Amino acid sequence: MVAQRKLKASMKQRLTASPAVPVLLSIVVLLAVWEGAILLFKIPPFVLPSLGAIVQHAFTDTARLMAALLATLGEALGGYALGSVLGLLLAVALLLAPPLERIVMPLAVAVNAVPTVAYAPLFLIWFGLGAASKIALVALAVGFTMLVNALHGLKQADLAAVNLMRSFGAGPMKIVWRLRLPVAMPSVVTALRIGVPRSMIVAIVGEMLGAYAGLGRMIYESTQQVDLLSVWSAVLVASVASMVFYGLLIWIDQKLVWWR
Amino acid sequence: MNAHLQRALRSPALAFVGLALVWELCVHAFAPSPRYLPALSAIAQDAWSVWPQLARGFGRTLLETVLGFAMGAVFGCLCGTVFTYSRWMERSVFPLFVVSQTVPVVAFGALIVIWFGNSLLAKVMTAFFLTFFPVTVNTLRGLKSCDPQRIALMRSFGANRFVMFFKLAVPSALPQIMVGLRVAIGLSLIGSVVGEWFGETVGLGVMLMEAMNADLVVRLWVVMFACGLMGALLYGLLTFVERRLVWWRSES
Repeated sequence: MVAQRKLKASMKQRLTASPAVPVLLSIVVLLAVWEGAILLFKIPPFVLPSLGAIVQHAFTDTARLMAALLATLGEALGGYALGSVLGLLLAVALLLAPPLERIVMPLAVAVNAVPTVAYAPLFLIWFGLGAASKIALVALAVGFTMLVNALHGLKQADLAAVNLMRSFGAGPMKIVWRLRLPVAMPSVVTALRIGVPRSMIVAIVGEMLGAYAGLGRMIYESTQQVDLLSVWSAVLVASVASMVFYGLLIWIDQKLVWWR
Repeated sequence: MNAHLQRALRSPALAFVGLALVWELCVHAFAPSPRYLPALSAIAQDAWSVWPQLARGFGRTLLETVLGFAMGAVFGCLCGTVFTYSRWMERSVFPLFVVSQTVPVVAFGALIVIWFGNSLLAKVMTAFFLTFFPVTVNTLRGLKSCDPQRIALMRSFGANRFVMFFKLAVPSALPQIMVGLRVAIGLSLIGSVVGEWFGETVGLGVMLMEAMNADLVVRLWVVMFACGLMGALLYGLLTFVERRLVWWRSES
């Protein structure tokens, strides 16, 4: 409850801080169309429940939703962190060893050609139904984006600057740390940003196929029981969570990458 | 000859052949449980044994993917254009687009079936929902990055808005739009595979679920390879079209 209220407060703050009038207006229009359509066309709740009903359901079922959210967030965050770090490290390794790049990159592209969701059953077999399989799945999805973006960014460094540092006796690691990584920061942040909604979605997909807990599990079970209000409230919670996650990242981006 | 050999050694194809060999050898040498890593030859054999079903599923999923992609591409380009020329629309509607992407569309699988019926359309809509956003963003970015000096030049020669749009803004935005399309094609495939999980009978997504429920690990690999093949094929096709069509290229 407190967390939710805080969440709402922070969103409100963000909205009023930006030139939010048109956004608010379009949200109001959207909500009006939603509720109006239900009233006007007498849409049955199993096709489209009213927003009020969804929010009300979310509040009565808070305990279950929060437990599921925590499980999903843990998996998404864990995989996100793991994938980002591994992707970045691999990018640096490939940068330092060009022959390796020629072997690894085609393989990485091939691995990425398979849609992430197709890996899900295999990962469930490999890592079990617990959190590990979802973390691995998210890490794979986020890691590839990071690898491609980071490698691109690391190569953007000015050759003259690299040569200058080298002539002053800087080793390859020092050049990476002092020059290439700062130059690559915008690309890295782009990858981080793309990864946010993706990590949530992949974690949820993984849970839908097999899990003990989480929003995806809840959605799957509720769908089976035709408890569609639970599905909607789980979707609502997932969306709000990834929006907050996303907003946080933009805020960090603005504070952190000041040299752009 | 030597130069040829060197180039051949560097080609990506060699990496694949090498990996395939290492894979097959490792499986024969260490004999891991097929649950974890089946032999490539076993996968090929299994693919051969379900060939008709696989081909039908491949065709069906391909159709859904391409239709969803086409709808998303058209819609995305239109929205990107509108957002470029209407600042008000950009400020009011575009944030909703961003929000829409945080919604886990897979969760709506069952609802989409209720809305659109258990038809091809339902899968196409899932693919569409995942596709339109990257195209919109890249169209918007591409159209906005048009060089103001060129705009001024064309205006000074008396070009009207339509001419400026088709002769200047679109060509300079196309490379960026193609980037968006390349991202979108992969997402479209994801959308159609996931869409098939809800009450479809034909398709790669269906085969994936069946294999998982029946615990057929080798079949899982077959479907994964089929999905990868389709993803690579579509991506390659798009890159080919891009090279042919958009031979001018922006700096990125």
